[in-house]
Amino acid sequence: MEGLVSGFGYAGSQSDNNYDVIIIGGGPAGASAAIYTARADLRTLVIDKGLTAGALGLTAKISNYPGVPGPINGAELIETMRAQAESFGATFITDKVVGVDLTSEPKMVMAGTNSYTAQAVILATGSMGRTGAIPGEVEFLGRGVSYCATCDGFFFRGKKVVVVGGGDSALEEGIFLTRFADSVTIIHRRDELRAGATLQKRAFANEKINFIWDTIVTEIHGNGTVNAVTTMHVHSGQQNRIETDGVFIYIGHYPNSKFLEGQIAMDEHGYIITDEYMRTSVPGVFAAGEIQDPIYRQIATSVGQGCAAAIQLERWLSEREDVRTAAPEKAG
Amino acid sequence: MSLLRDEDRRQIRKEFESLTEPVKLIVFTQEHECQYCAETRQIAEEVATLSDRIELEVYDLLADEEKAAAYGIDKLPALIVMRGGDEPKDYGIRFFGIPSGYEFGTLIEDIRMVSSGDSGLSEATRRQVAELQTPVHFQVFVTPTCPYCPRAVLLAHQLAMESELIRGDMVEAIEFPHLSMKYQVQGVPRTVINETVHLEGAMPEAMVMARLQEAVQAAA
Repeated sequence: MEGLVSGFGYAGSQSDNNYDVIIIGGGPAGASAAIYTARADLRTLVIDKGLTAGALGLTAKISNYPGVPGPINGAELIETMRAQAESFGATFITDKVVGVDLTSEPKMVMAGTNSYTAQAVILATGSMGRTGAIPGEVEFLGRGVSYCATCDGFFFRGKKVVVVGGGDSALEEGIFLTRFADSVTIIHRRDELRAGATLQKRAFANEKINFIWDTIVTEIHGNGTVNAVTTMHVHSGQQNRIETDGVFIYIGHYPNSKFLEGQIAMDEHGYIITDEYMRTSVPGVFAAGEIQDPIYRQIATSVGQGCAAAIQLERWLSEREDVRTAAPEKAG
Repeated sequence: MSLLRDEDRRQIRKEFESLTEPVKLIVFTQEHECQYCAETRQIAEEVATLSDRIELEVYDLLADEEKAAAYGIDKLPALIVMRGGDEPKDYGIRFFGIPSGYEFGTLIEDIRMVSSGDSGLSEATRRQVAELQTPVHFQVFVTPTCPYCPRAVLLAHQLAMESELIRGDMVEAIEFPHLSMKYQVQGVPRTVINETVHLEGAMPEAMVMARLQEAVQAAA
């Protein structure tokens, strides 16, 4: 009789694993949403991989979050937000979500140690720098592998370097490297660049820069210092060895949305598509923060989006209850 | 021609209002000034004018041979930040090469730290450092355009301040190509501890301390 639940904060026949709202991700967006849903008396569960799991936990010091002059540790700031949500009754658990069924009724969230159900879900798992290094990347860090052209460009005077990536950083730093290096090869996994038009124009006009498209670097080789990379064409699988003295890596952020593939509309980069009400393609599922925001990626914007998602979710739930309670009368 | 912008000068002067104890800057240069010797001297001179708590001494590597030996100066330009006043104390804080770009900030931070008399290190690090029995030499290779480098240099300087056994050198990699070659510097910051242990990047205090222990044990 799950569907006839009316009113918020309902706890009657619900098992311990049944909530009004499940928020996946406890960063700024998730914690802010939890503050709002918990205050609205919705039984709220926040599932988070761990305090320092998110990008925020790794960001050293924060000084641009309004109202908190800082510099404050990212983990401290998020701990404060969570405590605030908990004070209104939200439950936080540490677990990794391994799967979801967003179209079932109620919606199902499978975590490592338990499954949970809820009427509505907010996706707030954020984004991360890519996980896992290219084989050889750690070994040759500072021996030809670099993430900072302005720092290390000088050491590649008169040499050959490759740049991995296709965003603004890859192009900016690639262009900078042409001051020192004889040739700069930009290796990008797609056939077009993510970088802004002006940067693209400058890169294409630079005769020291050449591009290898639809290709990823699968291994970095060297003998003491880097001397080559192995590449693979993403469509044909064709492998190639490219001689190089340096590898500059600028593979940007990826939204943590892989566990949602096939369940919900996302763009080509994996960002969840939301409308201005933070609604996703699935009714009752909202998304907030960096999982749906490739543009701003600020704590302040994530907090705002989390708050907006919570308000819209609350409206969605109450409208749905109105329809449900009205329906039997019509039928009768 | 002043090297500091008026705006920076004003800002630093204001920050230096909080300096409590006197700080001494010592610059080593030579008669025919080396590449960046003149600029390093000028930076020190300009910074010294921004607070009456800052003293400045300039020596010539050759003419003041004894001073150079006493301070362990073997390359130019060199800059020392130490306690000034009636009880001067050299902590082992060194800049080899010009403290410009991002490293200018390190110089300002060093001056504030030395004046405060507090390294600002964690209790755990202080305890570990207090147990040192043998000298430890940090050489932090940097380039002026490296935003991650000051953290590594500052930590070496904090450790130098905390322990009489530790010397912390910033080494500007471009100005000392033979050292960059010797220590195989291809990326910065690169920290070399006692010639044996190499660290890439600006690592957290606890991790640097673990590597320092490694270096000490390797020598034992």
